[in-house]
Amino acid sequence: MYGWIWRHLPGPLYLRIAEAVVLVVGIVALLMFVVFPWAEPKLPFNNVTTQ
Amino acid sequence: MPPRPPRPRPVDPPTEVIPRIEDDYDDEYYDDDEYYDDEPNKAAPPPDSMARKAVRGFGEALITMGLVVLLFVVYEVYVTDLLSAEKQEDATAALDSEWSSNVVTPPPADPNRQSKLNLIEGKAFAKMYIPVFGNDWKFSVVEGTTDKHLEIGPGHYKDTAEPGEAGNFAIAGHRVGKGAPFNDLDLLESCNAVVVQTQTQWFVYRVLPMSSEVAGWASNPKSKQPSCAGVAPLSTTFGDAYAKTVGQEIVVPTQGEVIAPIPHQVGATVPADKQARLLTLTTCHPRFSDKQRLIVHAIETKSYPVANGFVPPEMTEG
Repeated sequence: MYGWIWRHLPGPLYLRIAEAVVLVVGIVALLMFVVFPWAEPKLPFNNVTTQ
Repeated sequence: MPPRPPRPRPVDPPTEVIPRIEDDYDDEYYDDDEYYDDEPNKAAPPPDSMARKAVRGFGEALITMGLVVLLFVVYEVYVTDLLSAEKQEDATAALDSEWSSNVVTPPPADPNRQSKLNLIEGKAFAKMYIPVFGNDWKFSVVEGTTDKHLEIGPGHYKDTAEPGEAGNFAIAGHRVGKGAPFNDLDLLESCNAVVVQTQTQWFVYRVLPMSSEVAGWASNPKSKQPSCAGVAPLSTTFGDAYAKTVGQEIVVPTQGEVIAPIPHQVGATVPADKQARLLTLTTCHPRFSDKQRLIVHAIETKSYPVANGFVPPEMTEG
């Protein structure tokens, strides 16, 4: 998977490194600001109220 | 001393001519631009078998999932703190400007007649301090206990008593992430002060004796300390209805009766003037789990009117 992505990044080496960094940052941001806030209330470890 | 005679230099051996070795190393191999291209057949190693690819893909997927889980922990413990700190700051700023802008009449002299607070969901209405947690432990308490409210700070259970009222002023707060206001709630001991400030009044609540201390409280040297003035097992001062109300308890999430006006007595009809003025804090337990709830009960022992520059002496305890 990672090898496949690397082979398909266009451009010379330095450009590929930059592209890879952008990809990683993008995915981390997507997780942090979209996926995790959505998933968190569904997970059973941060409820603090009684019913 | 006579100068030393120069040493004789060693005679150079005759230069040996090494014949050039012809090997089959192909220099042009690496110069070939197409080497880096994607044509599968030109890659140096032979193409991987399907099984090999599958195993590698599976391994990479596992590594990726592990990284995502680690990232989630970072999110939960650090990133939510940052997001919540901002919201808490905004709520505090809004509260400060509200307090400084509108002038209210001082609270009525009759302690049974409280000036009602204007509680709006999601808006801060009081500040909370726990001196034993340090000077910097202060949070603005908002109205409401949904996830959205608790991201801002500790949240007041709707329909429970207001600060200083007879009954049970109940607050929920996160223990992990989101500012983690109640991270150390398990460390509170009996008689520790929890100070709540509204626009007009300060209220000092003190943690009730723990269940292990209830029996021997009168003979316990701790009960003679000045910080324990006004603190006694509730069953001795307010009657048997309060027998189950102690400083700290751990309950299951469905036990909503801990925030009832008289904890554990949902149906009880006790006139307001016979009810203790309680503060109840709830958070998750154990840490990182929602299996149970950690509950801390405290009783109001003192109140002061808010005055310019006045800070209750309890604030420096700790």
